Amino acid sequence: MKILIAIGSKDFSTPTLRLGMKVAQAFHAKTTIIDVGEKISEFSSHLVELAHDQMESWDFDPPGVDVLEWAFNYLSDNKLIDAKQIEIGFPRSRLIDDGEDRKLVYLPGTVCENVNLILRNGDIVAELRDEVQVGKYDVTILGKSRKRNMSHDLLQYINSSIFVVNNYDNQKFDKILLPLNEASGMMKVAKYAIRVALALKIEIEILTVLENKSSNQIKSYNYNKVVKLIRRSGVQYAIEEKEGVVAEQIIKKADKNKIIVMKASSMSPIKRYFKGSIPLSVMNACDVPILIVK
Amino acid sequence: MLGFSNISLSNFLFWATQKKWFLYALGLGVLLLSLPTPHDLQIKAKISIIILIVSLILIIKEPIPLPAVAIFILIAQIYGGVDTVDGISKSFMSDAVFFIMGSLMLAVVIIKQGWDSRIALGILKFTGNKTAGIALGFLSISAVLSSFIGEHTVAAIMLPIGMTLIRFTSANPSKVKNLSAVILFSIAYGCLIGSVGTPSGGGRNVIMINYLNQAGISISYFEWMLRVYPFIFIQIPIVSWIIMKTFKPEHRILDSSVRKLVIKVARSRAITGRNTLTVLIFILILSGWVFFSEKFGLGTIALTGVFLYLLGGFVKWSDLNKHTHWGVIILFGATISLGTSISKTGGAMWLADQLVYFLGTFMETIPFFREFVIIVVTTSMSNVLSSSATVAVLGPINLNLVPEILNIGLLTAMSSAFSYFTAVAAPACTIVYSSGMIRAKDFIKIGFRVGVISILLLIAYVNIYWPLFT
Repeated sequence: MKILIAIGSKDFSTPTLRLGMKVAQAFHAKTTIIDVGEKISEFSSHLVELAHDQMESWDFDPPGVDVLEWAFNYLSDNKLIDAKQIEIGFPRSRLIDDGEDRKLVYLPGTVCENVNLILRNGDIVAELRDEVQVGKYDVTILGKSRKRNMSHDLLQYINSSIFVVNNYDNQKFDKILLPLNEASGMMKVAKYAIRVALALKIEIEILTVLENKSSNQIKSYNYNKVVKLIRRSGVQYAIEEKEGVVAEQIIKKADKNKIIVMKASSMSPIKRYFKGSIPLSVMNACDVPILIVK
Repeated sequence: MLGFSNISLSNFLFWATQKKWFLYALGLGVLLLSLPTPHDLQIKAKISIIILIVSLILIIKEPIPLPAVAIFILIAQIYGGVDTVDGISKSFMSDAVFFIMGSLMLAVVIIKQGWDSRIALGILKFTGNKTAGIALGFLSISAVLSSFIGEHTVAAIMLPIGMTLIRFTSANPSKVKNLSAVILFSIAYGCLIGSVGTPSGGGRNVIMINYLNQAGISISYFEWMLRVYPFIFIQIPIVSWIIMKTFKPEHRILDSSVRKLVIKVARSRAITGRNTLTVLIFILILSGWVFFSEKFGLGTIALTGVFLYLLGGFVKWSDLNKHTHWGVIILFGATISLGTSISKTGGAMWLADQLVYFLGTFMETIPFFREFVIIVVTTSMSNVLSSSATVAVLGPINLNLVPEILNIGLLTAMSSAFSYFTAVAAPACTIVYSSGMIRAKDFIKIGFRVGVISILLLIAYVNIYWPLFT
């Protein structure tokens, strides 16, 4: 399992890093923490690079290094990296340009396999997409953007599961909401939900939304298998059935205290691009963390 | 769908999203091409204007790499029959392109020489320890230096000096936000103000000289300075005052931080014979620009300097190669070529006529309206494009607006330096913004004030001072 955690600043990324590292810990995953800095106009990019070289000669770090240092300190304070590395401190000198327009440093991890810190510059969706493709990540964890189109672009173009950490607070979120349906791949979604529930020590609430409650199709073989898996995992769970429009019911049920774990849309990318999807509607409307499993 | 996998469809959609501005620009180009050609416009001129519009969108939005835009401009002119292959090739390479190439390379040499410590000491000796004096010092030194060696070079040299002073004042940047803005805007705006002072201050000046030469007008280095340099001295105190008033600094006196900076600089390496030689070579280049640029061209002299630095081993070719953005050089070559084509085909004259047709009455009746329009249009474009590209595309059009070609040329070059409004408008602004110590919205806050005052000052300047030359 490989997890990519995208952070942006010390002021706003603490919940993302905290939840991201908990999830990484639950999966014992190889983890990469990435900061994508602002895109620099091509007109000035070489000159800015030259200015940054000059800044370094006056002992100033290029922008973004402070964010990685803050992430390092978080890992260090929570003993998520090797003790020797903590003793040495932030390995500024080992932050090297790998020739792929990114700077990176490897850290030996303790609770997860290892942790990489990466610095890139450019359009956030394009850079994350590139990083996911190159690194073959399974989950990308990031904070919610104020830009409405961002959720759409992330779901549409990033080829990994997406975990958007929105207003995350340790105390507040006491349940995982797991909307189940008949689509294939629900077992994978359930496995992710179980891992997260175990990591955060919270229970799962399975939600099935029927357009018409009288139809009993939902409790099929697949459905029963998922419930069985959750039961066997030892995680506390509850099942609820609702009738109505799927997205609306999920949004209503999620309220302000549930982390949503749901399956990505299986529509074709073209249909999804023009029509949108249930996960996208939920993501746009909800103020809670949401993991969309691909 | 049609045998395509979901991944390939997703890849295609991603490509289309990333390149949407390219597709819009292309669509607009095709639409304009299909519209009937006005009776007073040649088809070649129409095509060159359409290429200009498409290229402007591509340069501003950057959906494709800038070198690709350059290649598009060149091949579109040839396929569109605007000029022959030979004609386009000739207009592509000019002294202005030589100068931009030489200037970018000289920046690498100069920045690597460690002149920054000496400059820091110079500023502090000159300014004392009051914040207002230091800000004025940063702005003045940046302006004077950038008038000779280019805004981007000076911004890169001055930025760490300013940042060090800020860090010595407080290790916590959030406690000195206003002071940071004062120091860094003094550097950025100083560089912009100074960059029009002499022809060698920026690529835009040389591009304008190139167009003036094509129009049969020659202007020497010294004559340019005589006409433009006083404006720098007018702007310096006023802009410095505006910066201080806009961002009231947290500390009025920077006594201890100045002392710490002096100690730090004093500990830096001593001047070596090689450092002195690099300065001597630069003085040689500067003398060449002043005395021989009309004969040999500014670009040739800049490249001579680069040759001497390489010959003396003051810089490695690998360093020059790494830090010189060849794509930008090609793009300037292409935009100058397009500007020349628009001028040659009559497109520039047609565009100027349209402007006169719509605004001519106001230009005749309202005092200073003509200058106001030129300055506002040029300033607006340079804030979203780049000053050199603005001059490259607007130059030929503006020169067709009125009979006083030299004045209009200088006015265009000067107002193209008013890139105060955005962090991406000029390399100097992008460089200080990249420090992370100022915010994008700070540019709007201060840029509007400095921009409006500069426009008014320039209108007054050209109407009071330039008539003395006639």
